[in-house]
Amino acid sequence: MNKSFIGLVVVSTIFLIYATGFYTNFQTDSALEIVDFSIDQPETENAAPSNPDRIPLYGDLHVHTKYSFDAYIFGVTATPYDAYRYAKGEAIKHPLGFDMKLREPLDFYAVTDHGFYMGMIENYADTSSEMSKNEWTKPMHNLNRPENVTVDSLGARADLFSSVLTQAIVKPYPYWHPKVWKAWFTNNIQVALQSFDYDVHKSAWADVANAAEEFNKPGEFTTFIGYEFTTSTDVEGGNLHRNVIFNSSNAPIRPWTRIDSINPEDLWTWMDGLRDKGVDSLAMPHNSNGSNGQMFEVETFRGNPISIEYAEKRMRNEPVVEMTQVKGTSDTHPLLSPDDEWADFEIMDKRVGSRPPTYSMPQGGYVRDAYLRGLTLDWEGRGNPYKFGLIGSSDTHTGAGGFDEDNYWSKAGVLDGTDMGRGSVPLTPDRIEQLEEYAELYDQPISIQDIEGRTYADVGFDQWSASGLAVAWAEENTRDSIFQAFKRKETFATTGTRMAVRFFAGFDMQSIDLDSEDMVKNAYAKGVTMGADLFSQDNQTPQFLVWAQRDKLGAPLQRVQIIKGWVENASGTPKEKIYDVACSDGLTVDPITNRCPDNGAKVNINNCSISSDVGAVELKTTWVDPDFDPTIKAFYYVRVLENPTCRWSTWDALKAGVKPRPDLDETIQERAWSSPIWYIPKSSKLNIIPL
Amino acid sequence: MNLRILVFFAIGLLIFFLDIGFNSEQNSKDIYISDQELTSLLSAWKSQVGRPPSDEEIVSIINNFVQEEILYREALLLELDQEDRIIKRRLAQKITFLKQETIPDDPSQEELENFFDLNKDNYFVPATYSFSHHYFSKESNAKERAAKAFNGYKTNGTEIIGDPFFLGKNFYQNSANEIKKNFGELFFSTIENLSLNEWSGPHESVFGQHIILLKEVQNGFSPPLEKVLIKVQQDYLSQAQDKAIDEYINEIRSQYRVIINPDYKF
Repeated sequence: MNKSFIGLVVVSTIFLIYATGFYTNFQTDSALEIVDFSIDQPETENAAPSNPDRIPLYGDLHVHTKYSFDAYIFGVTATPYDAYRYAKGEAIKHPLGFDMKLREPLDFYAVTDHGFYMGMIENYADTSSEMSKNEWTKPMHNLNRPENVTVDSLGARADLFSSVLTQAIVKPYPYWHPKVWKAWFTNNIQVALQSFDYDVHKSAWADVANAAEEFNKPGEFTTFIGYEFTTSTDVEGGNLHRNVIFNSSNAPIRPWTRIDSINPEDLWTWMDGLRDKGVDSLAMPHNSNGSNGQMFEVETFRGNPISIEYAEKRMRNEPVVEMTQVKGTSDTHPLLSPDDEWADFEIMDKRVGSRPPTYSMPQGGYVRDAYLRGLTLDWEGRGNPYKFGLIGSSDTHTGAGGFDEDNYWSKAGVLDGTDMGRGSVPLTPDRIEQLEEYAELYDQPISIQDIEGRTYADVGFDQWSASGLAVAWAEENTRDSIFQAFKRKETFATTGTRMAVRFFAGFDMQSIDLDSEDMVKNAYAKGVTMGADLFSQDNQTPQFLVWAQRDKLGAPLQRVQIIKGWVENASGTPKEKIYDVACSDGLTVDPITNRCPDNGAKVNINNCSISSDVGAVELKTTWVDPDFDPTIKAFYYVRVLENPTCRWSTWDALKAGVKPRPDLDETIQERAWSSPIWYIPKSSKLNIIPL
Repeated sequence: MNLRILVFFAIGLLIFFLDIGFNSEQNSKDIYISDQELTSLLSAWKSQVGRPPSDEEIVSIINNFVQEEILYREALLLELDQEDRIIKRRLAQKITFLKQETIPDDPSQEELENFFDLNKDNYFVPATYSFSHHYFSKESNAKERAAKAFNGYKTNGTEIIGDPFFLGKNFYQNSANEIKKNFGELFFSTIENLSLNEWSGPHESVFGQHIILLKEVQNGFSPPLEKVLIKVQQDYLSQAQDKAIDEYINEIRSQYRVIINPDYKF
């Protein structure tokens, strides 16, 4: 037995362990190395005093730029610096050449490029790079030179995304190669992959961090150093993507990626490790709707039962969930909530990235279901791993989130940057021919469909949305103040509208004068707010206070609802109920149906104008749960609905001068969801034997 | 004659072997870690972690250092540094830093003043407004109630009592952008034209009617140099650095000849 044979055995074992997914709880030391990315900034005088009643700050925590492997393939050349300029109100260019500009600047923004292969595709495309000498990089050479970023390149790009990359990526160097040894010495497996250049990767990450540091201006505009941990299960391809943001200029030397481990629990272990070294972070799952039910499972990643320890670890690291974004909204699904008339809202029912598009199971994929599962697990004595707050974000891949229905470019660059590409407007004969050619060339199914005599692209983008925003109730616009709001879960999610909602619970809320200037101060003093627990006080019935304000540039408000979920003590059956609590236009809630009467708001589909005389600028009320049982754990969260407005697909059709596609919703009701308040009864001595 | 040649040959041989001897000395597998190196490693660790390393951690720090050094040397032996894009870039970066450092750290007062005068717009501090308002919600008869309340105040000095506004009553040193964000364009153009310390209204916004007291306006202004000295110094320096590099390249470039295949098809 010679030396090289031993080496071969050692190295192939490493890769076998890795490749077969038996890769357990492996902590790489080098990913725990911390770098101070701060840059010298002159001291700024922060004039605004911090506000103890807190202000709502609007932002987007899910933004990709050219450093993301897929964004670059979609033709995106926007840098993190461009992304931050966009957030501050400047116009930046879409890959197809038009300007993208926000209606109003945002208060905070985080560029979260995929950690996996961050910066690498740009490097393959650069023909002067070492990597570009590899044969398999050829289809990517000069990919985003201006003359190559065209609608015609759509087919080739889609093919690159789905096939070329996956074939090329996971091939290690032979065992004798110094890089393999380096990978082994430094516990950094990606270094041993032939398609990976660690220096390029590290410098991309440093640039992301530097951009965040450069644009962070306490009191004015907040940024976070962050990235996306883009993992999925092997089984059924369930999406388990999370964004990670750091609450400091100190951040790890490299992102922890799916190459380190595909298990999100290992991500939390890594985050715990960083926290021990003084770097606090949080992870935010997204697109649970496309996870095939695996985002909010009732067992661990490896199929073990959930334990209190698991629940605590998850909640320590994942206090909020991104529940609405371009790829649909994950409040609930009509199959899960048959009694919720508003459940069928921007449903994206395909698994993320699946080709061909494959149905995603709703159970375990929506936040309301997750809250109920959390209560059920808690009822079984396993802790509640699903006690998270709610935010939205865009997941744009162009550096610029599109939040308005009438100013929408979806998110995948060249792929869906045109109305025809998004499937909202019939294809011209040229485009049909192009798509057919592409299908033949790359051996793909033809992605066109006939609907009532017209031909549209059949690409799944029609299920995508102009959504969403993350809103934090913070004392001031600083990194720490906003980060702490996420940790407290004092947040709400919107579908892109800048409406605002306050939500309090206590046992003396009805004594607060809703017309007094001190209303908010009193509510904070007498109760708890969104994201918090309300503990039983002698079995008194809790009282809730809700106050919503419209987006000044959006549609007026239609109604405020409180959504309640609970688990029956005797049987463990999960239940939910929706109560309208405030109606616009002086209408009152019907006590039998718990619904507001129709306020008569209309949309004119011919020009997308809306009724100007109905709807509310603000709605406020106190509410008492008529079905309250003091012995049952329950959660309550608010949903605020605007009057209907045109959906982006209708706007697309209107601008193109054609009829809206008949099978898509013509209008939507923009909305906001608060984080829940959980009611916690006195611990009962009742012993429950799970059946 | 023959003997002399032989002697020279012998001397040559001796030198040859000596040379090999010395060379092998240089190629020895010693890794010498100086005291300074150790101090800097340990202090770097301390500054990142916030406490001195334990004995165990010291061992791992040194091991990491040694590993890196070994890999580095082996890579050099394999000439992996040759024609490496990253190394080229890094070296180019290093000489850039070197050249940047040649410019004087402390620009003269006069230089700073000139620079400041040329770039005044970059340091302009925008106007801020401090104000209070009574809000009358569009939800309940805003116009009528606001007019009545304001009349009462003007004629009898009755206290104005409005509705609570979502974002509060008092706003301190808000910029134009903040006011537009919170109240809309219309409200801001109202504020801009109000006279100080005098209740005025009712004024309209998308949310209803407002009776406003403008308490203070800080006009936008160009601050004196002393107030923004640090930022000006930084900006000056970064501009001077860019300039130094450009000049250096322009100067040295003429000594180089660039040859590109004229028949290359771009």
